[in-house]
Amino acid sequence: MGWGLLAPTLIILAVAGLLPFFYIIYVGFFDWNLFSAEVGMFYTGADNYRKLVFDPEFLGALRRTFLFTTLVVSIELALGFFLAQLLTKDFRGKTIFRTIHALPLVIAPIVVGAAWRLLVIPGFGPVPYYLDKFLDINYNIGRFASHAFLTTVLMDIWHWTPFVTLTMLAGLSAIPKEPMEQALVDGANRWQIFRHLTIPMMMPVILTTVFIRLMDALRIVDEVYMLTGGGPGTSTRYIGIHIWQIVFPKTDYGYGSAMSLLTLYFTIVLCWLVFAAITARGKQSS
Amino acid sequence: MKSKMWTILSLFVVMSMLVACAAAPAAPAAPVAEEPTAEEPVAEEMSWWAQAAEAAGCVDTTITGISESTPPSNYSADVIAPQFEEESGIKIEFETTSWGEMYDKELKDMQSGAGVYDFIYIEQDIAYAYIDRDFLSDVTQMRIDNPELAFSDFDEGMFVSFVDYFRDPENGNLMGVPMEAFIKTYLYRTDLFEDEEIMAAFEAEYGYPLAPATDHEEYSDIAKFFTEWGEANDMELWGTTVQAHTGHAASWYEGFTEVPPQFGVYDWGINMDNWKATVENGGAMNSDENKAALTWWLSNLEFAPPEATSSTWDETAATFAAGRVAQGLIYGENAAWVATDPERSIVVGNVGVALPPTEPGVLDAAAAGEGSVGYYDGGAFGIPVSSQNPLCALLWVQYFAQEQFQPEWAAASARVTHNATYDSPELQAMDEQTNGYFTLMKDEGELFAGASPFPFHATLREEILPIWYKAITGDLTPDETLDQMAEATDAFLVELGYGE
Repeated sequence: MGWGLLAPTLIILAVAGLLPFFYIIYVGFFDWNLFSAEVGMFYTGADNYRKLVFDPEFLGALRRTFLFTTLVVSIELALGFFLAQLLTKDFRGKTIFRTIHALPLVIAPIVVGAAWRLLVIPGFGPVPYYLDKFLDINYNIGRFASHAFLTTVLMDIWHWTPFVTLTMLAGLSAIPKEPMEQALVDGANRWQIFRHLTIPMMMPVILTTVFIRLMDALRIVDEVYMLTGGGPGTSTRYIGIHIWQIVFPKTDYGYGSAMSLLTLYFTIVLCWLVFAAITARGKQSS
Repeated sequence: MKSKMWTILSLFVVMSMLVACAAAPAAPAAPVAEEPTAEEPVAEEMSWWAQAAEAAGCVDTTITGISESTPPSNYSADVIAPQFEEESGIKIEFETTSWGEMYDKELKDMQSGAGVYDFIYIEQDIAYAYIDRDFLSDVTQMRIDNPELAFSDFDEGMFVSFVDYFRDPENGNLMGVPMEAFIKTYLYRTDLFEDEEIMAAFEAEYGYPLAPATDHEEYSDIAKFFTEWGEANDMELWGTTVQAHTGHAASWYEGFTEVPPQFGVYDWGINMDNWKATVENGGAMNSDENKAALTWWLSNLEFAPPEATSSTWDETAATFAAGRVAQGLIYGENAAWVATDPERSIVVGNVGVALPPTEPGVLDAAAAGEGSVGYYDGGAFGIPVSSQNPLCALLWVQYFAQEQFQPEWAAASARVTHNATYDSPELQAMDEQTNGYFTLMKDEGELFAGASPFPFHATLREEILPIWYKAITGDLTPDETLDQMAEATDAFLVELGYGE
């Protein structure tokens, strides 16, 4: 009976999830560009994958994505944890702060990108105007790769730190207080309590949050595309945008499919490495 | 036994849901119109469109279309489509969206054969690719095959020459009905160019009178002059727009499609006999002329406002309308509102138009039909082969092309697709307000050209865009950029199956 009740869900998941996945694997072995001279799919074996391994554009996009992900996830984790700690205490305006802080989460990513574009577009946005007027900084995301990259990092932090905060806050609220009180009585200082008690007890929550943010950051597309289009040049062309450009405007379905699969592989490997690192550290601490 | 029954029941429920979600069956064949018998009362006279819709079995049918969210498309969606619905009884679901989104959605629909859209916007530069892939229905043939649905006033000869970009190269049949056409031309600020103090200062510095540039050296002089004038007089004024977005193909369309013809380089420098781009293989992509074109275009960045490297066609128009530049190459679809709409533009009444600057000999070559001086842009509405309601869509594409809609449509959105529209009172009034943009388009339109007939237009563009952007960011010199682009083009076209 259990399987019977699960059957509709499993069938829909299989159709909507697994079928496209297997189709991508299949298409990745073909040379298939919609606008090539000869129409159709031509079997090329592992050529697409061979080409990918040496493709500087693909490797560059991966590199940029990993750098972006490392920065945003670590900063969001630290900032979110800090804010969650703050929100466990009572202070004036706490409710208002929590509400305002959580607002970015309800905004659609494409709108986030559009809003940030209005803020930072050179010549029209207030940010470059006031940076130039008061600090004499020539801030231009259309011209300087570093400005564009940092802006995408800031935008992501602004958008997703509330998620980390709320998750950590839920975790902090759920951990028992008695061990901390006992440790205090035994003479431990706040840092020791934080390091040896709070962090280990929060490890499941931290791990879950890191994984969710990691997977989200690795596949970021809409906000960045809206803000910079992947530019200047390819400096903010992260792997999601790169795959999108290959598959849709360029209509290179075979190569794009291989790229998607290889990216999934790298994502799984990265997640496994992060899991191993965090759990190993957790074991050492305990 | 019980568990087996539950499994079968669950499967039955899921299958029922899937069947319910399946595509609707094809529309039934149009019923043969019956002659009224002597006993039946004579019906009220219906409009031709209503009769045709009934004959085609399209009454109360909904057709779905997609287009770019531009003034001309929005006008057709907001003004013409409701009238069509009222007259014909055919409903229209009209989706207007961004250029990239539109292109992506319609291509997916046609390539998969899903039949979501009954009419689509065909950008001029992608028309050949769609025709080559047999994505589009033959409008001419459809009218021949369905004479009862062929509107008598629809005459292919009524369109401006731009219509030729939507013809099947093999038989000349119409594959899309033009709905917008405009030229990307040279706009300049008449208030600045005719200011006596400015004129005197310019002539004192450069030794010749200030006037709209006729060649690139003059254009650069003017750009430099006004940038310095803006700095000296504490104004937010620069010499020129540059459509140089470093992450959007818009920069390509100005720097690689609009400007090179002004230097005598056409068809992206690709030799269409052997599909080669490098000079050594018979192409011209990395020719001296093209390198001069790119060098000149990039040199304008020094005299452009900071938003230049974030500007697509919308932002350059906004920059001009905000009074931030003295001149620029601006798409015609924006020329009207920049010149006439005080709610959106602060330069109303101060916009002049002229032909883009050209190198010696280019203008003569264009006049002789051997080249062009700029980009003739626009689009058509076409009927995908995958459409589920092609006959209903056929009525729509004929409906909006009626002469009666053209003058107001042209005045509202600065596009002209019919020859007769130029003589309409509405357009003549608008022409005066735009200082002769429509006269320029009428008299000199044939000097402009659309995109080359490449079936691989978008695909090749995406392959070499990353190299192109490096020219704008300064990571490569203009010469290096074009050398690399040409080599990459040669290799990529072979990969696509063009040339050896």
